[in-house]
Amino acid sequence: MNEDRRSFIKKAGIGILAGIGSAAGLFPALSLEKTVLPAWDEKPEPGKHRWGMLIDTRKCSGNCSECVAACHFTHNVPDFGNRKDEVKWIWKSSYENVFPTASQQFQSPGVTERPYVALCNHCAEPPCTKACPTEATFRRWDGIVSMDYHRCIGCRFCMAACPYGSRSFNWRDPREGIKLASTEYPTRMQGVVEKCNFCSERLVKGLDPACVEACPEQALVFGDLNDPGSEIRKLLESTETMQRKPELGTKPSVFYII
Amino acid sequence: MKRRRATLTKKLIMTAAAVLILVLAGVYAFRHEESQAEKIAAPAAAAVDSSACIGSKEYMRANHMRVLNEWRHSSVRDGNRVHVAPDGRKIEKSLNTCLNCHSGNRMFCFNCHMYANVKPNCWNCHISPMEAP
Repeated sequence: MNEDRRSFIKKAGIGILAGIGSAAGLFPALSLEKTVLPAWDEKPEPGKHRWGMLIDTRKCSGNCSECVAACHFTHNVPDFGNRKDEVKWIWKSSYENVFPTASQQFQSPGVTERPYVALCNHCAEPPCTKACPTEATFRRWDGIVSMDYHRCIGCRFCMAACPYGSRSFNWRDPREGIKLASTEYPTRMQGVVEKCNFCSERLVKGLDPACVEACPEQALVFGDLNDPGSEIRKLLESTETMQRKPELGTKPSVFYII
Repeated sequence: MKRRRATLTKKLIMTAAAVLILVLAGVYAFRHEESQAEKIAAPAAAAVDSSACIGSKEYMRANHMRVLNEWRHSSVRDGNRVHVAPDGRKIEKSLNTCLNCHSGNRMFCFNCHMYANVKPNCWNCHISPMEAP
């Protein structure tokens, strides 16, 4: 009895040692080059730029939606033709939906009946980034509220947190809803949230956002809010502008001339 | 006395057997990959000038996914979009940098991933070399 037990323990010990030996061979450590590559350069200075947009709604005509079409084509935004599955980065809406808390009363019918372009406000104090549990959405060094779709788990907390309805959820595989695909930008996948990225992929190439470029009336002005000499700053200083729901303290980077 | 000696011999044999098993296990484990490669033919790869790549063929085979993760993190989070290769060349940190360079091979990525039965989810969003126009 005792002899059996002893031999069993011996055998078990040998088995464990052999197991450790083979595991060390299967997971070799430090047998390859280091994966963190050195010598990064051209790292941007955080807070140097803050991209912003000014929408001159007086120039925006009612029956044109070039900005929406250009944006949604450039970024492969799907269109399923129904409100439930709707995905939008930039869209046109009514005065009372875009400015529901505006303090200006008794605006002229011309103002309240005009359509208004709405998009992500790229807030200086974004509530969505604070709601995201995986840091999939974050405020970049240049003020753009960006998304890393790889990290999005589809919890939609950011959609609940955003007071502007700027975020959409992919209830369906977006590739089914893209009629004309652009090869310049990836699509998303089912189960992730998406939104306007201020065309950060175009800014890298030195281009203006697709909506700004597409507007036939030049109603959209894009620029650096931290640069006192920029066109947008001059317009902000010389004209009276509005932001969406300023009382929430989100400090939007998108301004409107009414 | 005789019995005692027998026990000692038994112990010696047992220890020798244990050492032998350990050595054999170690040797087998470390030449594991080599022996696998001998059994199954490696996937055919298109003739690509791999000297233009940021790393050696062996390094890229083993670490391309880590390189891509590192690139994504530093370009998306820190805005650091320039990769400097060991020979001083500057390359944009993008999956498309890889795909454009290997654009001659429609089965790039797929050849090895099919062979290794690895199913990365890159192509749920990114345009794969097979789908590229």
